Amino acid sequence: MHAETLVDPRTVDARRVSTAGDMQGFAAAQLVQQATGGDLEAFEELIRRLQRRVYGFAYQHLRDSDEAHDLAQEIFVKLYRNLGRYDAERPFEPWFWKLAANTSINYRRKRVPLPAEATDESAGEDEANFLKHDPTLVEALAQLDPAYRLPVLLHYYADMSLEQVSHSLNVSVAAVKSRLHRARAQLRNSLAEAEEVGDL
Amino acid sequence: MDNPLACARVRVLLEPFVDGDLDANVAEQVRRHLVTCAECRRQHDQAISLPFRLKALSSPAPRASFAQDVMRAVAPARSMDRQVWTLLAPEALLAGFILWYLSGLEGLSSIASGTFNDLLGLAGGSLPSVPPVDVVLVIALIALTCIAGYHLSLLIRVAPTSLQSRRHA
Repeated sequence: MHAETLVDPRTVDARRVSTAGDMQGFAAAQLVQQATGGDLEAFEELIRRLQRRVYGFAYQHLRDSDEAHDLAQEIFVKLYRNLGRYDAERPFEPWFWKLAANTSINYRRKRVPLPAEATDESAGEDEANFLKHDPTLVEALAQLDPAYRLPVLLHYYADMSLEQVSHSLNVSVAAVKSRLHRARAQLRNSLAEAEEVGDL
Repeated sequence: MDNPLACARVRVLLEPFVDGDLDANVAEQVRRHLVTCAECRRQHDQAISLPFRLKALSSPAPRASFAQDVMRAVAPARSMDRQVWTLLAPEALLAGFILWYLSGLEGLSSIASGTFNDLLGLAGGSLPSVPPVDVVLVIALIALTCIAGYHLSLLIRVAPTSLQSRRHA
């Protein structure tokens, strides 16, 4: 039986709720409710729970640790300012990732792109270790058009369903599917080219 | 019998084929092509593994101070929220004083008649004398207007959070 049927959300402190499985979404929604009521510790706990995925999402989108830090921070500041807009009757994560996606789109519009060499040189140890993991795919993803990269990150990285991605990006499910197919085809071609170069 | 598909056509269809989004007839043609074409089969294997590789993609961790940095960034908004409530105290004090001074309808009518007499005095050519307590009232009104105006501007700035919170409460 699901935990939601056993407990009254209003009487539970989400910081004590287990983080396992489907309890995570419930706990996040509970933290949001507490944060909306002015509980700053609950908001800080919410940041700690989401920061890894949000920073990762920002990093995959921008490929620069400082800019990813700025974008991730902007996403959380926007979350804080819009806490009151969250409808507690609906699941938190799709609403949150829609806000994250919109913030990312606006951030990219106003940013000044950095030269690629400068980014690689300034990479920290953690970043360098990350680049060793599937570097060809990371590189191919970086080359992808942002209009294709965002649905890929939301669907495969943030683990959102096609319906949730379509809601986040304000496009139809068919359009999301089409973008994902094209994005994956482009990635596949980039990977094949990289393999050919490696074989030479 | 359908014409066999060319490699270029099959490669465009690989992702929808892997996701099961092709209609049965086209899917069958792709399947038949894959049996005979080793290069397209290699691309097909790549198309199958790609979603899993994307899901397994790792990212560097955020800075250790990340949560504190965010909390510092939201601090101005928090102090603004506090200010919105704090301003209620001087406003209530000034409003209380003004109401006490006017003491209801009787006070209002005496002010109105006083103003009317002052206007009559002006029409007669001589300047009206302003009682000192009226000056205090005017100062109180100006102060209340200024504080209320500032308060309103703060409310407009924090409106998306606080007004909606009240709606859900």
